[in-house]
Order: sequence, then structure tokens, then C-alpha cells
Amino acid sequence: MNVIAEVSGNIGSIGYGLATLGPGIGVGLIFGNGLQAIARQPETYGLIRQNMLLGFVLVEALALIGLVAPFIYGL
Amino acid sequence: MPAMSEQERRPESDGRDFANAAWSVPSYILSGIILYGGGGWLLSRWTGVAVFTPIGVIVGVVLAIYLVYRKYGR
Amino acid sequence: MKALTVLAADEFKAPGLELFDLPPIIPGVAWFTKPVLLALLSSLLVIAFCWSAFANPKLVPRGIQNIGEVGYTFVRDQVARPFLGKDADRWMGLLLSLFFLVWIWNLMGVVPFLQFPVASHIAFPIVLAVSIYVLKIYLGVKHQGGIGYFKNMMFPPGLPKPIYLLLAPIEFLSNMIVAPFTHAVRLFANMFAGHIILAFFSAVGFWFLFEQLTPLGAPVGVVGVIMTIAMTGFEMFIQFLQAFLFALLAAMYIGGSLHAEH
Repeated sequence: MNVIAEVSGNIGSIGYGLATLGPGIGVGLIFGNGLQAIARQPETYGLIRQNMLLGFVLVEALALIGLVAPFIYGL
Repeated sequence: MPAMSEQERRPESDGRDFANAAWSVPSYILSGIILYGGGGWLLSRWTGVAVFTPIGVIVGVVLAIYLVYRKYGR
Repeated sequence: MKALTVLAADEFKAPGLELFDLPPIIPGVAWFTKPVLLALLSSLLVIAFCWSAFANPKLVPRGIQNIGEVGYTFVRDQVARPFLGKDADRWMGLLLSLFFLVWIWNLMGVVPFLQFPVASHIAFPIVLAVSIYVLKIYLGVKHQGGIGYFKNMMFPPGLPKPIYLLLAPIEFLSNMIVAPFTHAVRLFANMFAGHIILAFFSAVGFWFLFEQLTPLGAPVGVVGVIMTIAMTGFEMFIQFLQAFLFALLAAMYIGGSLHAEH
């Protein structure tokens, strides 16, 4: 089988680049919807803030695991 | 903590609490990964079984999420 | 820039890390390079600006005092007051100097003929971050006692007891190691990446329009020039934002040391 195209170099950085797609969308959705909710009902700011933070920490965990993954699997 | 009643909660302290929480989230997760992932890596070097490193990382992430939840989520 | 693109080759070579190797300006003095000169120039600019704005304040501000007051109230209301509360006025000198110094450092990256963001040599952000770190520990120990500072940091109230053993190292590592590291590296990485992006698009524009002008390559050169203009605008916004964030995090760390975490 002939090689038609190939990507060479540090594959860990490519992996991390792909891994930032999901968390980027996730953070945007969380805070975008949170902002809309605050705008609609400002008196529930405390409740919305707590839930935004919870969602954010889960999404950020994925992003940081993606950052560390090349080092876990030995680059 | 500034007074717990909603009426006395000034916007500045709200901003401070939220900014503290938001900046501490990546910091806790990263330290959890480094600490328990590093511990798992050392354990896998000692025993020779390579699976302890990812287990350590996952444990660190879970603990960091729990820490943020207990500290800022209530 | 010219030195990088005088190539005998026919292929475009993107600028890399050689952008950051700068020779000394005076041949005998090895440490006096362009970044050092720009850092000294930035310090002089900050001193001159603050002196001319605040040395003889009038009740009705005129001229530069207006701009100085806008900057002062911005730093006071957005950076100092949210984290320091009533102590904000004591720390305004430090925070104002920090904000303006880092902002002028960053602005050096887009001024024509200077074009080097001082913070893209990691030594400069490290010095500022380490000094804030030392200040944070000193204030924490002074206001909460040596043992009390670490106890309040590692054992926040309200958690079930057995979890403390697992969570205390995370808190300690996060506050003591990760915080100053990210404080410095956030500024450095943003300025480093921004400089490389601007150099890349400028090199594309210059190469395809001047060095090797071909009918097919000219549109690529035009795209390069347009992207350079767009990225310069974006870079100026990022420079302001990174200076603001640096001062904000410094205020947060100082505030966290003065009032114990709850």
C-alpha cells in the first residue's frame, strides 16, 4: 500500500489540539446559557453561578486530561 | 464569608467569590493530576505494572472535582 | 526581519525560534540586548506617565491627568476593590504599576521598529510572578501566623474529616506551586505565541509579494498582509487583556493572603 499523505512530527501536540475542540464547545455552551439565564432572571444569580461552576469543572477536567495524556502514554 | 443573607451580598464580593472559584478550578485539577498521576507513575515504576499511571490520573481528577464541588458548590 | 528572509532557497521558510535570539546592542556588553533596552524604556515610560499625570494633581483634571485618572479608576474598580475591599487604596501603587508596566511591555510588540514583546522572554514574567509569590507568602504568614496560614489554606472548613488527608496535598500543591507557575507562564505563552503569529503572517506577506513575486503567489501574499493587519488588532486586545489578568491575579493572591479563605 502506497503512502499518499502523512503527518509527521510530535503527535502529542496534534492530539492535544484535537482534544481542545470538545471542551471549547462545552465551555461556550455552559457560560452562554448561564449568561442568558442570568439575564432572564437576575435574582437567581447565586444558583446559576453554582451550577455553572460545577459544569465548568467537569469540562475543564477533560481538557486538562487531554493536555497530560501524551505524557502518560510516554509521548 | 460576607453575610449569608442575600440582601447584604454586595456585587463586589460576588465577583470576588466567583473569580476565586473560576481560577481555582484549573489549578486544583492540574495539581490533582500532577500529584496523584505522579504517585501512580511512581507506583507503576515500582511494581512494573504500567496501568497505575492512568489510574492515578483519574483518581486525581475525581478528587479535584470533588474538592471543587464541596468547596464552591453548596 | 530582513535578515530572516534573505534566503537563497526557493521555498518559503516560516520563522521559528530564531526570532527570540537577539544579539547584544553594544558589542562588548553581552547582557544588553534589545529586550533589556525595551524593558528599561518601558520602565521610563511608566515613570514619566505617572509622574506627569499625578505629580501636581488639580481638582479639575486637565490633559494627561484625565488619562491617568481613567487608568487609576479602572484598576481600582476592576482589579483592586473586588479582591481587597477596604484595603484597596494601600495596594493601588503596586497594582497600578504592575498593570501599566505589563501593558507597555506587551505593547512593545506592535510598535513599528521596536516590535518585540518584552514578556516573550520568560525571565521577565518569572521575576514579577516570583515577587508577587514571595509577597503573598510573607503577607499570609504575617496576618495569619506561620502555622495558621498553611492550616487555613490546606484545611478549608466544611469538609468531612477523612477527606482532608486526600485533599490537603492538592490544596497545597495548587496554591504553592501551580499558582505562581501559571501566573508567569500565562503571560509568557500568550506573548510568545502572539509574536510568532505576527512574524509568520508578516513573513508570508513579505515573501510572496516582494521576495518571490509570482502570479500565483501574489494572492497568498495579499492574504498574508490582510491577516497581519487582523492579527495585529487581535494581538493588541490580547495584550491589554493579559496585562489586566496579570494585575487581577496579583490582587487575588494578595487578597487571599490578607483575608483568610473561608
